[in-house]
Amino acid sequence: MIKKGIHSVFLFFFCFWLSAQNKSDSLAVNFHLEFNKLPLKLNHKYVSAANDTLTVETFRCYISGIQIQYDDNSVFTQKESYHLLDSENPNSFSIPITKKSDKLISKIIFNIGIDSVTNVSGALAGDLDPIKGMYWAWQSGYINMKIEGKSPSCKTRKNEFQFHVGGYLKPFYAMQCMKFPLDKKADDDINIGIDLNRFFSNLELSKTNSIMIPGKEAMKLAAHSNKMFYSQ
Amino acid sequence: MKRYWKHSTLMCLILIGFAFTVRFATPIYFEVPDKWPKPVYDFSKNPITEEGFQLGRNLFYDPILSRDKTISCASCHSPNNAFTHVDHDLSHGIEGRKGKRNSLALVNLAWSKNFMWDGGVNNLEVQPINPITNPVEMDEKLENVVTKLQQSPKYRTLFSKAYGDEKVTSQRILKALAQFTVMLKSSDSKYDKVMRHEASFTQQEEKGYQLFKANCASCHTEPLFSSDKFENNGLKPDDSLKDGGRIKITKNIKDSLRFKVPTLRNIKLTGPYMHDGSIQNLPMVLFHYTDDLYKSPSLSKQLTKKITLNKEDKDNLIAFLEALTDESFIHNPKFQYPR
Repeated sequence: MIKKGIHSVFLFFFCFWLSAQNKSDSLAVNFHLEFNKLPLKLNHKYVSAANDTLTVETFRCYISGIQIQYDDNSVFTQKESYHLLDSENPNSFSIPITKKSDKLISKIIFNIGIDSVTNVSGALAGDLDPIKGMYWAWQSGYINMKIEGKSPSCKTRKNEFQFHVGGYLKPFYAMQCMKFPLDKKADDDINIGIDLNRFFSNLELSKTNSIMIPGKEAMKLAAHSNKMFYSQ
Repeated sequence: MKRYWKHSTLMCLILIGFAFTVRFATPIYFEVPDKWPKPVYDFSKNPITEEGFQLGRNLFYDPILSRDKTISCASCHSPNNAFTHVDHDLSHGIEGRKGKRNSLALVNLAWSKNFMWDGGVNNLEVQPINPITNPVEMDEKLENVVTKLQQSPKYRTLFSKAYGDEKVTSQRILKALAQFTVMLKSSDSKYDKVMRHEASFTQQEEKGYQLFKANCASCHTEPLFSSDKFENNGLKPDDSLKDGGRIKITKNIKDSLRFKVPTLRNIKLTGPYMHDGSIQNLPMVLFHYTDDLYKSPSLSKQLTKKITLNKEDKDNLIAFLEALTDESFIHNPKFQYPR
C-alpha cells in the first residue's frame, strides 16, 4: 500500500516536472505589437508619420511556415505552422516553436499570411477555422491581415478604416515571406516587432481607408505590411 | 491463475473497445462511372462514411443553418428540381430577400474545380460558408451555427455517430455537408444507358445528339456536359444586376461577363435558365444561341460562328437534351428529406 502511495507521488512529480520542462525548454517567437516602438494600446489615439490621427481597434494577422536556420546549417521547419495573432488575445503573440539549445541561430524565416495550397485545401480547423473571421466566403481564401480602426481623416461611416489584406490567386498572391538574419544562441526567445506606425506612415487615410478584396490595392498594402516587421 | 484470467479479460475488453473507437463509422465507396474522368475532389482528406453522409443530409435539409431557421440548403436546391430552385429567375433567401443569381443545380460536384457562377469558391467543403453567411441567403454566422447544433440533442447524436464524439466544429459541419453533396452523382440518364449499350436513342434523339456534338459539345463537354470553364455565352447584361461574373474574382478584363459553363444534365428540370434566370424554357434557350447573341469583346470563341438550326433541328436537339434527365438520381431515396 505504502509502495503504491510512493509511486503515485513520484508519478505526480514526474508529470509536474515534465510539464514545467516543456514550458521553460521551448524556444518561442514573441511578436510585439507596437506603435512607434511603444506597445500598442487598442483604442488609444496615435498620430501617424503621415499626420493622420487614428485609433486601432483590431489587429489580426496570420504567421505561417516558421523556419529557424542555425549557423551549423541545420534547419528547423515547424510542422502545421499556422498561427493567428489576434489583438483580442495577447497570448497568441507568443508562438512556441522548438526546444532551446546551445546552437547559434543565424536566421528566422516566416510568412505573413497563408500560402496558396492551404487556401484551396477545404475546411480546416484550429487557427485556420473559418469561424475566426479571417476567411472570405464569396471568394474562398484567407484574410492574411486585418487592421481596423477609426480616424477623423476617413470620410467614411463612423470615420472607420478597414483593411482586409489577402488573396492567393496570381497575380494577386498577397502572402509575404520574411527573413531576418539573427546571430543569437537558441537558449532564449526570438523577438519580432510589428510597428503599426510603419504601416500607416505609408498611407494617407483620407484616400486609402477601405480595402477588403484581393487585387492591386491589397498587394500594395501587403508590401507596406512587411515593413512593419523588424527583428528586435 | 485467477488473476491472470482477470487481466487477460480486461485486456481483451480494452482491445475491443479500441476496435470500436477506430471503426465507429461505415465507409462508403464513391464509384466513378466507366470512362468518366478522375474526380477533382480529394476523398482522402474526407473519407465518406454512411454516418457522415447522413449527418450532411440532415444539415442539408435543416433550416437551422439560417439565422431565423426558415431557409435550408434544399430551399434553393430541391431534389425534385434536380437540386436547384424552380420557377424563380433569381433565388431568394431569408425574409424574401432576393439574390442576384439563379441557383445552380447540385450535381456531379466531385468533378468541379470551382463553384458558384463566378467560380469564386475553390473547394466543395468551403462552398456552404457562402449561402450560410450571405445576408440575402441564410444571413447567419458560422459560430452561431456551431452553437445551435451543439445545443441540439439530435445533432449531438448525429455528430458522435459520424465522428466518434459530440464535438461540433465548423470543419466537421462543412466536411459532413461535403459528404452529402459530393455523393449527388447523376450518371443514369437515358444518355448514359445508351453509352453503356443498355438502351438506344430514338431517331429524333439520335439526330439531336449529332446536332449537340456539332454545336454545343465544345463547352458542354461529355460526359459531365460542362467544360468546368468560364465563358461569355452572349447573354445581354442585365443593367439592374451589374454582374460581371468571373471578372469579380480574377480582376482580369478578359473575364468580364464570363460565367461558369453549367452542366446540361437534368436540364429539362432546372429552368429557368442562365445565371440570371432570364430565359424561361429550352426553345427560348436555343433561340438565344441561334438568333439573339449579344456581341461583346469577351464573347466565347465558340459562338463567333453563327449557329443555324431549323425548327426540326431544334425539336431534335430538345429531345436529346431531355434524354439527359436522370429519374433514378432525382428520386433516389438516399438523397431525399431525411425521415
